[in-house]
Amino acid sequence: MKLTTLFDKGAFVITGEVGPIKGAIHRDKSIEPGCAIEALSLQQHVHAVNVTDNQSAVMRLGSLAASVRLTAAGIEPVYQLTCRDRNRLALQSDLLTAYSLGIDNVLLLTGDHIHLGDHKEAKPVFDLDSVHLIKMAKGLSEGFDITGNSIENNIDMAFGAVVNPNFDPLDLQLMKMKKKIDAGADFFQTQAVYDLGCFDQFIEKTHSFNCPVQVGMVVLKSPEMGRFMNKNVSGIHVPEHWIKEIGSVDKKDRKKKAAEMAGRFLKQVKPMVQGVHIMPLGWTDIVPDILDYAGISR
Amino acid sequence: MHATIQKPIDEIIRHIQPNESVFVVGCNNCAWKCHSGGEEETKMMAKRLSDRGIDVVGYTVPGPQGMSLCKLSNTRKVLHEDYANEVERADSFLVLGCGQGVHTVIDATDDGMVHPGCDTIFGGETVSDTDIEEFCSLCGECIIEFTGGLCPMTLCAKQLLNGPCGGAENGHCEVDADRPCGWILIYERLKKLNRTSLLDPFQPPKNNAKWGRPRSLRVSPTEATFYANGTHITVSNQE
Repeated sequence: MKLTTLFDKGAFVITGEVGPIKGAIHRDKSIEPGCAIEALSLQQHVHAVNVTDNQSAVMRLGSLAASVRLTAAGIEPVYQLTCRDRNRLALQSDLLTAYSLGIDNVLLLTGDHIHLGDHKEAKPVFDLDSVHLIKMAKGLSEGFDITGNSIENNIDMAFGAVVNPNFDPLDLQLMKMKKKIDAGADFFQTQAVYDLGCFDQFIEKTHSFNCPVQVGMVVLKSPEMGRFMNKNVSGIHVPEHWIKEIGSVDKKDRKKKAAEMAGRFLKQVKPMVQGVHIMPLGWTDIVPDILDYAGISR
Repeated sequence: MHATIQKPIDEIIRHIQPNESVFVVGCNNCAWKCHSGGEEETKMMAKRLSDRGIDVVGYTVPGPQGMSLCKLSNTRKVLHEDYANEVERADSFLVLGCGQGVHTVIDATDDGMVHPGCDTIFGGETVSDTDIEEFCSLCGECIIEFTGGLCPMTLCAKQLLNGPCGGAENGHCEVDADRPCGWILIYERLKKLNRTSLLDPFQPPKNNAKWGRPRSLRVSPTEATFYANGTHITVSNQE
Protein backbone atom coordinates (compact mmCIF):
# COMPACT_ATOMS: atom_id res chain seq x y z
CA MET A 1 0.00 0.00 0.00
CA LYS A 2 1.22 3.48 -0.83
CA LEU A 3 2.17 5.43 2.29
CA THR A 4 0.37 8.42 0.81
CA THR A 5 -2.88 6.56 1.42
CA LEU A 6 -2.08 6.52 5.13
CA PHE A 7 -0.98 10.17 5.22
CA ASP A 8 -4.20 11.11 3.41
CA LYS A 9 -6.21 9.31 6.09
CA GLY A 10 -4.40 11.27 8.78
CA ALA A 11 -2.56 8.25 10.16
CA PHE A 12 0.67 8.79 12.09
CA VAL A 13 2.94 6.87 9.73
CA ILE A 14 5.61 4.70 11.33
CA THR A 15 8.48 3.28 9.33
CA GLY A 16 11.55 1.32 10.31
CA GLU A 17 14.70 0.59 8.39
CA VAL A 18 16.87 -2.39 7.52
CA GLY A 19 20.06 -2.75 5.51
CA PRO A 20 20.38 -5.59 2.99
CA ILE A 21 22.95 -8.24 3.82
CA LYS A 22 26.48 -8.23 2.45
CA GLY A 23 25.89 -11.24 0.27
CA ALA A 24 23.22 -13.05 -1.70
CA ILE A 25 19.87 -14.40 -0.51
CA HIS A 26 20.02 -18.16 0.04
CA ARG A 27 18.40 -20.29 -2.68
CA ASP A 28 16.78 -22.31 0.10
CA LYS A 29 13.67 -20.23 0.62
CA SER A 30 13.31 -21.36 4.21
CA ILE A 31 16.45 -19.39 5.07
CA GLU A 32 15.56 -15.72 5.46
CA PRO A 33 18.35 -13.12 5.06
CA GLY A 34 19.19 -11.16 8.22
CA CYS A 35 17.50 -8.01 6.90
CA ALA A 36 14.21 -9.89 6.41
CA ILE A 37 14.43 -11.37 9.94
CA GLU A 38 14.97 -7.88 11.31
CA ALA A 39 12.07 -6.53 9.26
CA LEU A 40 9.82 -9.38 10.46
CA SER A 41 10.49 -8.37 14.05
CA LEU A 42 9.41 -4.82 13.20
CA GLN A 43 6.39 -5.84 11.18
CA GLN A 44 3.77 -5.63 13.93
CA HIS A 45 4.81 -2.17 15.00
CA VAL A 46 5.39 -0.22 11.79
CA HIS A 47 3.51 0.51 8.60
CA ALA A 48 6.51 -0.03 6.36
CA VAL A 49 10.22 -0.76 6.43
CA ASN A 50 12.82 1.17 4.46
CA VAL A 51 15.35 -0.96 2.63
CA THR A 52 18.60 0.92 2.12
CA ASP A 53 20.52 1.09 -1.16
CA ASN A 54 24.20 0.22 -0.65
CA GLN A 55 24.05 2.38 2.46
CA SER A 56 27.16 4.33 3.38
CA ALA A 57 28.38 3.35 -0.09
CA VAL A 58 29.13 -0.18 1.15
CA MET A 59 28.36 -2.80 -1.52
CA ARG A 60 25.54 -5.12 -0.48
CA LEU A 61 22.58 -7.12 -1.74
CA GLY A 62 20.43 -4.93 -3.98
CA SER A 63 17.77 -2.89 -2.29
CA LEU A 64 15.20 -4.07 -4.81
CA ALA A 65 15.84 -7.78 -4.23
CA ALA A 66 15.60 -7.27 -0.47
CA SER A 67 12.45 -5.14 -0.88
CA VAL A 68 10.81 -7.85 -2.97
CA ARG A 69 11.74 -10.42 -0.32
CA LEU A 70 10.01 -8.27 2.29
CA THR A 71 6.92 -7.98 0.11
CA ALA A 72 6.82 -11.79 -0.14
CA ALA A 73 6.91 -11.95 3.67
CA GLY A 74 3.95 -9.58 3.91
CA ILE A 75 5.99 -6.55 4.94
CA GLU A 76 5.51 -3.22 3.16
CA PRO A 77 8.92 -2.05 1.94
CA VAL A 78 10.09 1.47 1.16
CA TYR A 79 12.58 0.80 -1.62
CA GLN A 80 15.48 3.25 -1.40
CA LEU A 81 17.06 4.35 -4.67
CA THR A 82 20.13 6.57 -4.92
CA CYS A 83 21.81 8.50 -7.73
CA ARG A 84 25.29 7.36 -6.76
CA ASP A 85 25.53 4.09 -8.66
CA ARG A 86 23.22 4.47 -11.65
CA ASN A 87 22.76 6.80 -14.61
CA ARG A 88 19.33 7.98 -15.77
CA LEU A 89 18.72 4.88 -17.90
CA ALA A 90 19.38 2.53 -15.01
CA LEU A 91 17.38 4.62 -12.52
CA GLN A 92 14.30 4.68 -14.74
CA SER A 93 14.63 1.03 -15.61
CA ASP A 94 14.91 0.15 -11.90
CA LEU A 95 11.81 2.23 -11.10
CA LEU A 96 9.83 0.41 -13.81
CA THR A 97 11.18 -2.91 -12.51
CA ALA A 98 10.33 -2.04 -8.91
CA TYR A 99 6.76 -1.17 -9.80
CA SER A 100 6.48 -4.30 -11.95
CA LEU A 101 7.61 -6.40 -8.98
CA GLY A 102 4.94 -4.94 -6.72
CA ILE A 103 6.79 -2.12 -4.93
CA ASP A 104 4.47 0.74 -3.89
CA ASN A 105 6.85 3.07 -2.06
CA VAL A 106 10.22 4.42 -3.09
CA LEU A 107 12.56 6.80 -1.29
CA LEU A 108 14.57 8.83 -3.79
CA LEU A 109 17.94 10.10 -2.58
CA THR A 110 21.31 11.41 -3.69
CA GLY A 111 23.25 8.73 -1.78
CA ASP A 112 26.35 8.86 0.38
CA HIS A 113 29.54 9.54 -1.53
CA ILE A 114 31.60 6.55 -2.65
CA HIS A 115 34.51 7.90 -0.63
CA LEU A 116 32.66 6.95 2.58
CA GLY A 117 32.26 3.30 1.62
CA ASP A 118 34.21 0.14 0.88
CA HIS A 119 34.78 0.69 -2.86
CA LYS A 120 36.61 4.01 -2.76
CA GLU A 121 38.09 3.63 -6.24
CA ALA A 122 34.71 3.18 -7.95
CA LYS A 123 33.40 5.86 -10.31
CA PRO A 124 30.69 7.94 -8.64
CA VAL A 125 27.82 8.32 -11.13
CA PHE A 126 25.61 11.22 -9.97
CA ASP A 127 24.31 11.64 -13.52
CA LEU A 128 21.20 13.09 -11.84
CA ASP A 129 20.65 14.72 -8.47
CA SER A 130 17.78 13.82 -6.14
CA VAL A 131 15.56 16.62 -7.51
CA HIS A 132 16.04 15.31 -11.05
CA LEU A 133 15.36 11.77 -9.81
CA ILE A 134 12.07 12.76 -8.19
CA LYS A 135 10.95 14.71 -11.27
CA MET A 136 11.89 11.79 -13.50
CA ALA A 137 9.96 9.31 -11.30
CA LYS A 138 6.96 11.64 -11.41
CA GLY A 139 7.25 11.63 -15.21
CA LEU A 140 7.13 7.82 -15.24
CA SER A 141 3.93 8.02 -13.19
CA GLU A 142 2.50 10.40 -15.79
CA GLY A 143 3.40 8.23 -18.75
CA PHE A 144 6.70 9.52 -20.08
CA ASP A 145 10.40 9.02 -19.54
CA ILE A 146 12.95 11.78 -18.91
CA THR A 147 13.41 12.41 -22.62
CA GLY A 148 9.65 12.76 -23.13
CA ASN A 149 9.12 9.37 -24.76
CA SER A 150 5.83 7.68 -23.89
CA ILE A 151 5.92 4.56 -21.77
CA GLU A 152 3.47 1.67 -21.54
CA ASN A 153 1.72 1.24 -18.19
CA ASN A 154 2.66 4.15 -15.93
CA ILE A 155 4.10 3.44 -12.53
CA ASP A 156 1.98 4.30 -9.49
CA MET A 157 4.12 4.62 -6.39
CA ALA A 158 4.47 7.01 -3.45
CA PHE A 159 7.62 9.10 -3.84
CA GLY A 160 9.50 9.79 -0.62
CA ALA A 161 12.37 12.24 -0.24
CA VAL A 162 14.80 13.20 2.50
CA VAL A 163 15.74 16.45 4.19
CA ASN A 164 18.21 17.31 6.93
CA PRO A 165 16.78 19.66 9.61
CA ASN A 166 20.25 19.87 11.22
CA PHE A 167 21.73 21.51 8.11
CA ASP A 168 23.35 24.89 8.56
CA PRO A 169 22.37 27.15 6.79
CA LEU A 170 18.86 25.71 7.02
CA ASP A 171 17.46 28.04 4.34
CA LEU A 172 19.72 26.41 1.75
CA GLN A 173 18.39 22.97 2.70
CA LEU A 174 14.83 24.28 2.54
CA MET A 175 15.43 25.70 -0.94
CA LYS A 176 16.18 22.16 -2.04
CA MET A 177 13.24 20.72 -0.11
CA LYS A 178 10.91 23.08 -2.00
CA LYS A 179 12.41 21.95 -5.29
CA LYS A 180 11.78 18.33 -4.30
CA ILE A 181 8.14 19.10 -3.55
CA ASP A 182 7.75 20.93 -6.87
CA ALA A 183 9.36 17.94 -8.59
CA GLY A 184 6.79 15.55 -7.10
CA ALA A 185 7.87 14.41 -3.63
CA ASP A 186 4.86 13.04 -1.72
CA PHE A 187 6.43 12.86 1.74
CA PHE A 188 9.70 13.43 3.58
CA GLN A 189 11.77 11.43 6.01
CA THR A 190 14.26 13.57 7.92
CA GLN A 191 17.84 12.90 8.88
CA ALA A 192 18.12 11.72 12.50
CA VAL A 193 17.24 14.54 14.87
CA TYR A 194 18.10 14.91 18.58
CA ASP A 195 17.76 18.65 19.10
CA LEU A 196 14.21 19.73 19.82
CA GLY A 197 14.88 23.45 19.31
CA CYS A 198 16.49 22.86 15.95
CA PHE A 199 13.63 20.62 14.83
CA ASP A 200 11.02 23.08 16.04
CA GLN A 201 12.61 25.78 13.89
CA PHE A 202 12.63 23.42 10.90
CA ILE A 203 8.94 22.60 11.33
CA GLU A 204 8.03 26.24 11.71
CA LYS A 205 9.74 27.06 8.42
CA THR A 206 8.31 24.08 6.50
CA HIS A 207 4.78 24.06 7.88
CA SER A 208 3.49 26.03 4.91
CA PHE A 209 5.01 23.52 2.45
CA ASN A 210 2.02 21.31 3.23
CA CYS A 211 3.87 18.04 2.67
CA PRO A 212 3.93 15.19 5.23
CA VAL A 213 7.11 14.87 7.29
CA GLN A 214 8.31 11.84 9.23
CA VAL A 215 10.85 12.73 11.89
CA GLY A 216 13.99 10.60 11.63
CA MET A 217 15.31 8.90 14.75
CA VAL A 218 18.44 6.81 15.16
CA VAL A 219 18.33 4.91 18.45
CA LEU A 220 21.24 6.08 20.60
CA LYS A 221 22.70 2.93 22.14
CA SER A 222 25.72 4.24 24.05
CA PRO A 223 27.74 7.39 24.73
CA GLU A 224 30.47 5.97 22.45
CA MET A 225 27.97 5.75 19.61
CA GLY A 226 26.94 9.38 20.16
CA ARG A 227 30.54 10.56 20.06
CA PHE A 228 31.25 8.36 17.04
CA MET A 229 28.31 9.82 15.12
CA ASN A 230 29.33 13.36 16.00
CA LYS A 231 32.79 12.70 14.70
CA ASN A 232 32.08 10.46 11.72
CA VAL A 233 28.48 10.71 10.54
CA SER A 234 27.89 13.82 8.51
CA GLY A 235 24.67 15.73 9.05
CA ILE A 236 23.93 14.28 12.51
CA HIS A 237 24.58 16.01 15.81
CA VAL A 238 23.97 14.31 19.14
CA PRO A 239 23.83 16.90 21.95
CA GLU A 240 25.95 16.30 25.05
CA HIS A 241 22.91 15.79 27.31
CA TRP A 242 21.83 12.77 25.24
CA ILE A 243 25.34 11.30 25.51
CA LYS A 244 25.42 11.89 29.27
CA GLU A 245 21.99 10.37 29.85
CA ILE A 246 22.62 7.15 27.93
CA GLY A 247 25.95 6.87 29.74
CA SER A 248 24.30 7.31 33.14
CA VAL A 249 23.12 3.69 33.29
CA ASP A 250 24.98 0.37 33.26
CA LYS A 251 25.43 -1.36 29.90
CA LYS A 252 22.80 -3.98 30.78
CA ASP A 253 20.20 -1.26 31.24
CA ARG A 254 21.03 0.68 28.08
CA LYS A 255 18.27 -0.80 25.92
CA LYS A 256 15.63 0.24 28.41
CA LYS A 257 17.17 3.70 28.71
CA ALA A 258 17.52 4.10 24.93
CA ALA A 259 13.84 3.28 24.48
CA GLU A 260 12.86 5.73 27.21
CA MET A 261 14.98 8.56 25.73
CA ALA A 262 13.84 7.99 22.15
CA GLY A 263 10.23 7.64 23.30
CA ARG A 264 10.35 10.82 25.34
CA PHE A 265 11.76 12.76 22.40
CA LEU A 266 9.20 11.29 20.03
CA LYS A 267 6.38 12.25 22.38
CA GLN A 268 7.61 15.86 22.23
CA VAL A 269 7.91 16.05 18.45
CA LYS A 270 4.83 13.98 17.65
CA PRO A 271 2.46 16.95 17.43
CA MET A 272 4.77 18.62 14.90
CA VAL A 273 4.96 15.77 12.37
CA GLN A 274 2.88 13.28 10.40
CA GLY A 275 4.99 10.26 11.23
CA VAL A 276 8.26 8.83 12.47
CA HIS A 277 11.06 6.98 10.75
CA ILE A 278 12.91 4.86 13.31
CA MET A 279 16.36 3.49 12.55
CA PRO A 280 16.93 0.97 15.39
CA LEU A 281 20.31 -0.29 14.08
CA GLY A 282 19.68 -3.84 15.22
CA TRP A 283 17.76 -3.01 18.41
CA THR A 284 14.47 -3.74 16.73
CA ASP A 285 13.10 -5.25 19.95
CA ILE A 286 12.89 -1.82 21.61
CA VAL A 287 10.79 -0.23 18.86
CA PRO A 288 7.49 -1.20 20.58
CA ASP A 289 8.75 0.38 23.83
CA ILE A 290 9.73 3.60 22.04
CA LEU A 291 6.26 3.84 20.55
CA ASP A 292 4.66 3.00 23.94
CA TYR A 293 6.62 5.77 25.66
CA ALA A 294 5.46 8.19 22.99
CA GLY A 295 1.87 7.00 23.23
CA ILE A 296 1.76 5.88 19.61
CA SER A 297 0.31 2.71 18.19
CA ARG A 298 0.05 1.55 14.62
CA MET B 1 45.92 25.67 -17.15
CA HIS B 2 46.35 21.93 -16.97
CA ALA B 3 47.70 20.81 -13.63
CA THR B 4 50.22 17.97 -13.79
CA ILE B 5 52.31 16.00 -11.33
CA GLN B 6 55.35 13.93 -12.17
CA LYS B 7 55.05 10.17 -12.19
CA PRO B 8 57.42 8.38 -9.79
CA ILE B 9 60.82 7.90 -11.39
CA ASP B 10 60.67 4.10 -10.96
CA GLU B 11 57.42 4.01 -12.92
CA ILE B 12 58.92 6.14 -15.70
CA ILE B 13 62.03 3.98 -15.96
CA ARG B 14 60.06 0.72 -15.96
CA HIS B 15 58.68 1.53 -19.42
CA ILE B 16 62.00 2.44 -21.05
CA GLN B 17 63.54 -0.54 -22.89
CA PRO B 18 67.23 -1.50 -22.52
CA ASN B 19 69.32 0.45 -25.05
CA GLU B 20 66.45 2.88 -25.74
CA SER B 21 67.67 6.44 -26.41
CA VAL B 22 65.41 9.03 -24.87
CA PHE B 23 64.86 12.72 -25.56
CA VAL B 24 63.17 14.65 -22.73
CA VAL B 25 60.62 17.36 -23.58
CA GLY B 26 59.12 19.75 -21.01
CA CYS B 27 56.50 22.49 -21.19
CA ASN B 28 57.25 26.10 -20.42
CA ASN B 29 53.72 27.02 -19.45
CA CYS B 30 51.49 24.81 -17.29
CA ALA B 31 54.09 22.18 -16.34
CA TRP B 32 56.53 24.99 -15.55
CA LYS B 33 53.98 26.45 -13.11
CA CYS B 34 53.48 23.01 -11.56
CA HIS B 35 57.23 22.34 -11.26
CA SER B 36 56.56 19.11 -13.11
CA GLY B 37 58.18 19.98 -16.45
CA GLY B 38 59.67 23.48 -16.60
CA GLU B 39 63.28 24.17 -17.55
CA GLU B 40 64.69 23.14 -14.17
CA GLU B 41 62.68 19.96 -13.91
CA THR B 42 63.36 18.91 -17.48
CA LYS B 43 67.10 19.34 -17.06
CA MET B 44 66.88 17.49 -13.74
CA MET B 45 64.90 14.65 -15.31
CA ALA B 46 67.58 14.22 -17.98
CA LYS B 47 70.15 13.91 -15.18
CA ARG B 48 68.00 11.56 -13.10
CA LEU B 49 67.59 9.27 -16.10
CA SER B 50 71.31 9.42 -16.97
CA ASP B 51 72.22 8.64 -13.37
CA ARG B 52 70.13 5.49 -13.70
CA GLY B 53 71.99 4.38 -16.81
CA ILE B 54 69.53 5.55 -19.44
CA ASP B 55 70.88 7.01 -22.67
CA VAL B 56 69.51 10.56 -22.78
CA VAL B 57 70.24 12.12 -26.17
CA GLY B 58 68.99 15.58 -25.27
CA TYR B 59 66.32 17.65 -23.64
CA THR B 60 64.43 20.88 -24.26
CA VAL B 61 61.55 23.00 -23.11
CA PRO B 62 60.31 24.43 -26.39
CA GLY B 63 59.95 28.21 -26.48
CA PRO B 64 60.24 31.01 -23.93
CA GLN B 65 58.59 31.01 -20.52
CA GLY B 66 54.82 31.12 -21.02
CA MET B 67 54.95 29.12 -24.27
CA SER B 68 52.81 25.99 -24.13
CA LEU B 69 54.13 22.66 -25.33
CA CYS B 70 50.70 22.07 -26.85
CA LYS B 71 51.21 24.86 -29.41
CA LEU B 72 52.11 22.45 -32.18
CA SER B 73 53.70 24.92 -34.60
CA ASN B 74 56.26 26.02 -32.01
CA THR B 75 57.02 22.54 -30.70
CA ARG B 76 57.43 21.18 -34.22
CA LYS B 77 59.78 24.03 -35.16
CA VAL B 78 61.95 23.57 -32.07
CA LEU B 79 62.19 19.78 -32.36
CA HIS B 80 62.70 19.77 -36.15
CA GLU B 81 65.07 22.70 -36.44
CA ASP B 82 66.86 23.43 -33.15
CA TYR B 83 67.18 19.80 -31.99
CA ALA B 84 67.12 17.98 -35.33
CA ASN B 85 70.23 15.86 -34.60
CA GLU B 86 69.15 14.79 -31.11
CA VAL B 87 65.61 14.07 -32.23
CA GLU B 88 66.99 11.98 -35.09
CA ARG B 89 68.93 9.82 -32.61
CA ALA B 90 66.04 9.46 -30.17
CA ASP B 91 64.08 6.21 -30.01
CA SER B 92 61.47 7.85 -27.81
CA PHE B 93 60.38 11.07 -26.11
CA LEU B 94 59.69 11.41 -22.42
CA VAL B 95 57.17 14.23 -22.09
CA LEU B 96 56.95 16.31 -18.92
CA GLY B 97 53.63 17.97 -19.63
CA CYS B 98 49.94 17.21 -19.81
CA GLY B 99 48.25 14.65 -22.02
CA GLN B 100 47.68 17.30 -24.68
CA GLY B 101 51.40 17.98 -24.67
CA VAL B 102 52.17 14.29 -25.08
CA HIS B 103 50.01 14.23 -28.19
CA THR B 104 51.62 17.43 -29.46
CA VAL B 105 54.97 15.63 -29.33
CA ILE B 106 53.50 12.71 -31.31
CA ASP B 107 52.38 15.22 -33.96
CA ALA B 108 55.61 17.22 -33.86
CA THR B 109 57.78 14.11 -34.30
CA ASP B 110 55.64 12.52 -37.01
CA ASP B 111 54.35 9.69 -34.84
CA GLY B 112 57.36 9.30 -32.56
CA MET B 113 57.25 6.91 -29.58
CA VAL B 114 56.28 8.76 -26.40
CA HIS B 115 56.38 8.13 -22.66
CA PRO B 116 54.19 10.26 -20.38
CA GLY B 117 56.33 11.57 -17.53
CA CYS B 118 53.39 13.17 -15.73
CA ASP B 119 49.85 12.48 -14.66
CA THR B 120 47.42 15.17 -15.83
CA ILE B 121 45.14 15.83 -12.89
CA PHE B 122 42.82 18.77 -13.61
CA GLY B 123 42.34 22.15 -15.23
CA GLY B 124 42.86 24.90 -12.67
CA GLU B 125 43.44 28.49 -11.68
CA THR B 126 47.00 29.47 -10.71
CA VAL B 127 46.01 31.11 -7.46
CA SER B 128 49.62 31.72 -6.43
CA ASP B 129 53.08 30.36 -7.17
CA THR B 130 52.35 27.44 -4.87
CA ASP B 131 48.59 26.90 -5.20
CA ILE B 132 46.56 25.64 -8.13
CA GLU B 133 42.86 25.17 -7.55
CA GLU B 134 40.14 23.57 -9.69
CA PHE B 135 37.07 25.69 -10.44
CA CYS B 136 35.87 24.25 -13.75
CA SER B 137 35.17 20.68 -14.89
CA LEU B 138 35.06 21.49 -18.63
CA CYS B 139 31.52 20.06 -18.89
CA GLY B 140 30.52 22.06 -21.96
CA GLU B 141 27.33 23.47 -20.41
CA CYS B 142 28.00 26.30 -17.99
CA ILE B 143 25.37 27.05 -15.30
CA ILE B 144 27.41 29.38 -13.11
CA GLU B 145 25.15 32.30 -14.06
CA PHE B 146 22.86 30.83 -11.38
CA THR B 147 25.52 30.16 -8.78
CA GLY B 148 27.45 33.40 -8.52
CA GLY B 149 30.21 32.14 -10.81
CA LEU B 150 31.04 29.16 -8.57
CA CYS B 151 30.65 25.81 -10.32
CA PRO B 152 28.72 23.09 -8.43
CA MET B 153 29.89 20.51 -10.98
CA THR B 154 33.37 21.16 -9.61
CA LEU B 155 32.98 22.42 -6.05
CA CYS B 156 30.35 19.84 -5.01
CA ALA B 157 31.78 16.32 -4.60
CA LYS B 158 28.51 14.88 -5.91
CA GLN B 159 28.16 17.41 -8.75
CA LEU B 160 24.66 18.30 -7.56
CA LEU B 161 22.90 21.01 -9.56
CA ASN B 162 19.87 21.83 -7.41
CA GLY B 163 21.35 22.40 -3.98
CA PRO B 164 23.35 20.55 -1.33
CA CYS B 165 22.96 17.01 -0.06
CA GLY B 166 22.40 16.74 3.68
CA GLY B 167 25.92 15.66 4.50
CA ALA B 168 27.76 18.92 5.20
CA GLU B 169 29.04 19.32 8.76
CA ASN B 170 30.07 22.71 10.11
CA GLY B 171 30.20 24.00 6.56
CA HIS B 172 32.46 21.17 5.40
CA CYS B 173 31.94 18.45 2.82
CA GLU B 174 31.06 14.90 3.96
CA VAL B 175 33.82 13.58 1.72
CA ASP B 176 36.67 15.66 3.15
CA ALA B 177 36.40 17.58 6.40
CA ASP B 178 39.17 19.91 5.20
CA ARG B 179 37.10 21.07 2.22
CA PRO B 180 34.21 23.50 2.38
CA CYS B 181 30.81 22.36 1.08
CA GLY B 182 30.61 23.80 -2.44
CA TRP B 183 26.93 24.61 -2.05
CA ILE B 184 27.50 26.53 1.16
CA LEU B 185 30.23 28.54 -0.65
CA ILE B 186 27.73 29.30 -3.42
CA TYR B 187 25.00 30.24 -0.95
CA GLU B 188 27.24 32.48 1.17
CA ARG B 189 28.51 34.27 -1.93
CA LEU B 190 25.00 34.87 -3.30
CA LYS B 191 23.88 36.04 0.12
CA LYS B 192 26.64 38.66 0.13
CA LEU B 193 25.54 39.72 -3.35
CA ASN B 194 21.89 39.74 -2.20
CA ARG B 195 21.05 37.32 -5.04
CA THR B 196 20.04 34.06 -3.31
CA SER B 197 16.87 33.98 -5.43
CA LEU B 198 19.10 32.88 -8.33
CA LEU B 199 19.07 29.45 -6.67
CA ASP B 200 15.30 29.02 -6.87
CA PRO B 201 14.84 27.81 -10.47
CA PHE B 202 15.02 24.10 -11.21
CA GLN B 203 18.26 23.24 -12.97
CA PRO B 204 17.73 20.45 -15.49
CA PRO B 205 20.11 17.49 -15.73
CA LYS B 206 23.31 17.99 -17.69
CA ASN B 207 23.41 17.14 -21.37
CA ASN B 208 26.13 14.51 -21.18
CA ALA B 209 26.23 14.31 -24.97
CA LYS B 210 28.46 17.38 -24.70
CA TRP B 211 31.04 15.20 -22.91
CA GLY B 212 31.14 12.76 -25.82
CA ARG B 213 34.82 12.02 -26.26
CA PRO B 214 36.90 12.96 -28.13
CA ARG B 215 35.95 16.61 -28.50
CA SER B 216 37.28 19.19 -30.95
CA LEU B 217 36.81 22.83 -31.80
CA ARG B 218 37.08 24.45 -35.23
CA VAL B 219 37.43 28.21 -34.96
CA SER B 220 37.44 31.24 -37.25
CA PRO B 221 37.44 34.93 -36.31
CA THR B 222 33.64 34.96 -36.58
CA GLU B 223 32.37 31.55 -35.51
CA ALA B 224 33.28 28.37 -33.74
CA THR B 225 32.03 24.80 -34.11
CA PHE B 226 32.28 22.47 -31.15
CA TYR B 227 32.26 18.77 -31.92
CA ALA B 228 31.58 16.26 -29.21
CA ASN B 229 31.42 12.65 -30.28
CA GLY B 230 28.02 12.37 -31.93
CA THR B 231 26.98 16.01 -31.65
CA HIS B 232 28.14 19.41 -32.88
CA ILE B 233 27.24 23.02 -32.14
CA THR B 234 28.18 26.14 -34.12
CA VAL B 235 28.13 29.58 -32.51
CA SER B 236 28.79 33.03 -33.93
CA ASN B 237 30.54 35.85 -32.09
CA GLN B 238 29.08 38.47 -34.45
CA GLU B 239 25.38 38.71 -33.47
